Amino acid sequence: MKATQGTTYRMLGSRLNDVSNDLERLRMIGATGKKLNKPSDDPASIRPVLNTRKQLSNVDRYLETMGKSLDTMQATDGHLEHVENIMQRAKEIMTNAINGSLNDADRTVLADELANLRKELLDSANGTVDGKYLFAGYAEDTKPFVEDGAFNIKLFDPANAATWPVSYAGDENATSLEISAGELIQVNLTGNNLFFGTVDWPSASALGGDHPEAGRYNLFNEITLAEQALRTNNTTTMQNSLDNLEGAAEQNRRLRSQLGNRASRVETAMDYQEGVRIDLKQVLSRYEDADAIEAFNAIVQQETAFQAALNVTSKVSQLSILDFI
Amino acid sequence: MTSLLNALNSGKTSLLTNQKSIEIVGNNIANVNTEGYSRQRAELMQIPAVNFGDFFIGQGVTVSNVSRDYSVFINRQLQDKSIEYGEEMGKSNSLAELERIFNVSEDNLASQINDFFDAWQELTANPSGQVERDVVMQRGQLLGEAFSNITNELDTVAQNMNTEIISEVETLNEKIAEIAKLNERINLVEISGQTANSARDQRDLIIKDLSETLGVQTYTDNRGMLNVQLPGGMPLVQGNMAATIKTVTIGTDVNLRLQVAGSTLDIPLESLGGKFKGMFEVRDVFIAGLRNDLNTLAVDLTSAVNAEHINGYGSDGEKGRPFFDDITVPLPDQVASRRVRVALSDASEVAAARYIEAAPGDNEFALRIAQLEVTHRVSGTKDTFDNFFSKMVATVGIEAARNDLALKGTKDATIQLQNLRDGYSGVSLEEEMIDLIQYQRGFESSAKFLATVDEMMTALLQLKG
Repeated sequence: MKATQGTTYRMLGSRLNDVSNDLERLRMIGATGKKLNKPSDDPASIRPVLNTRKQLSNVDRYLETMGKSLDTMQATDGHLEHVENIMQRAKEIMTNAINGSLNDADRTVLADELANLRKELLDSANGTVDGKYLFAGYAEDTKPFVEDGAFNIKLFDPANAATWPVSYAGDENATSLEISAGELIQVNLTGNNLFFGTVDWPSASALGGDHPEAGRYNLFNEITLAEQALRTNNTTTMQNSLDNLEGAAEQNRRLRSQLGNRASRVETAMDYQEGVRIDLKQVLSRYEDADAIEAFNAIVQQETAFQAALNVTSKVSQLSILDFI
Repeated sequence: MTSLLNALNSGKTSLLTNQKSIEIVGNNIANVNTEGYSRQRAELMQIPAVNFGDFFIGQGVTVSNVSRDYSVFINRQLQDKSIEYGEEMGKSNSLAELERIFNVSEDNLASQINDFFDAWQELTANPSGQVERDVVMQRGQLLGEAFSNITNELDTVAQNMNTEIISEVETLNEKIAEIAKLNERINLVEISGQTANSARDQRDLIIKDLSETLGVQTYTDNRGMLNVQLPGGMPLVQGNMAATIKTVTIGTDVNLRLQVAGSTLDIPLESLGGKFKGMFEVRDVFIAGLRNDLNTLAVDLTSAVNAEHINGYGSDGEKGRPFFDDITVPLPDQVASRRVRVALSDASEVAAARYIEAAPGDNEFALRIAQLEVTHRVSGTKDTFDNFFSKMVATVGIEAARNDLALKGTKDATIQLQNLRDGYSGVSLEEEMIDLIQYQRGFESSAKFLATVDEMMTALLQLKG
């Protein structure tokens, strides 16, 4: 075994090659700040990385969806508050009518006010956000509540929607959105549920016909009936109406608090997803980001090795037996 | 006087022999950088002694043979390692390409799949939105393009390999024929008892190349001819007869055939070694597997989306339309992954609604399709769409990392073996310089010796005068 020119230069060449390849790899890591630049860098972390990226994009989507849902819920809540005020005022009017000694003219004034309240209620029921009707179910481009111009109190039949003062043109479907993987949340209230007291439309109430469900109320009908009781000055029906109006207001409050609960659920979910996003970013970073200090240390180290290899190479060429014989 | 004349003669042989030796040293120095050259040396032998009455006196020196420093063992090992190195080498280029195609950047097929389902998710928040509907269709189209891009790129890699194989085969045939010629020359030279050093060196060098590209196996017959065969035993060179490798194109793939003694044989993958084995393995096994997986993913994704979409209503109140072209039963000559196309022509046909009224707020089918991203499992696996794809990327990554490591290892091994070979057979300038001095001094002493003999003879001749 002997060291020949060929072996020496081959060894030096391959060493220089190795070191400069290594240096290039390290510089790539330093320049991109990532240790995962191609699949072979770490095949085991490909799946977590791609998976985490998907989750991140999903979280962004959920956050956007939740932001939109909150907007809808807040707008809905504003309308519900207004409905509550209307129902409150209607109750006050009825209490006033029952307790006070009023003459016909006074009662007519109050009855007219009730008629106006019904119109106000109608405005709220047809409330919109973004040009879409809030209480129309899926039919968000259809004006859900329409006043029947030919309404005749004498023909009124609580079991037949065709005789009611206000008819419903929306549908019974509430909108659900996905706020986290697999979790759907209902973001609105349907008109029939809120104003007609029935989850299904047309009503599938056990009472038959278009009756609201047991213990629930049709807000428009109740106000109309109260107005009628005032106009006919019938104390019994007035008393009845007052109870019903109270029930109707309660129905509104209940649904409003349900919506409020869901809104707060969405808010917690948003906080949670924000947290998840930070965690996911950390996970992603752990898999694909290089430790900057470590990377630059390694570069310096490798550069030194490269310099040494170059030094040796130049020394070798200076040394020749020909200079000595 | 006779003995003086004898001395003159032996001095002459010494002059000639040293001169010859210096010539050989010169040749060694000249070939210091020649690849595959084995250092030669003069083998000196004394000329048989002649009986002078009572004792024998040597008659000088002669070069009996010019031999080369050569170790069969090291050369065999080098040949074996070259086969391994060649195999990894043949894989490395295409694997680097595949790594680029199946990358881990933020823009790959997985992100396109994410974007597609994200568009559906976005549609759920506003099912009647024209923009959202358009985005869903565009994302579908982009997804189709991403699928066909990858398919095309896989084809390109395979095509590049085919081109490389074809061009490589030409030089291969030249090398095979050269071995047959060298066999013949070696036979002719060595029949007269000499060693055909340079022809043998040349043959070894070509064999090393052939080992690297084809993984050949060799054995020497009793005439000093080297027989070369493919790993499966198909003969490439027998004595001075060489076979030819032909390329045949079947479909789009190039395959190899061996033409030997008038008959043509197919060369299967098992009969290959070295670089060609690596290339064929990547092309016929690895890339073919990736293509299969890609088709599975394309078919599964489109049919899963279609199965939901067909039951939903578009905003025009129609149902029964698939979102993608149906590729579950591809036509012959068609690749499923290249045919991922949106079947809808208008955004109103995007089926987001569950009910026939197709009310603008009806988002139930958009929700169902959006949820496929998380809930659907690619048939036969437990993977979601993007997990399935990341498995493919991981396969490429694992193979590329393994290849990287193996390539480095085998390269180091061949370099070490080459150094070992050069340590044994290579030319060391120091050694040659010292030999040069040695033979020069030998030459000078012989000349001195001749001068002395000459003086003695002159002295003898002057006795008379």
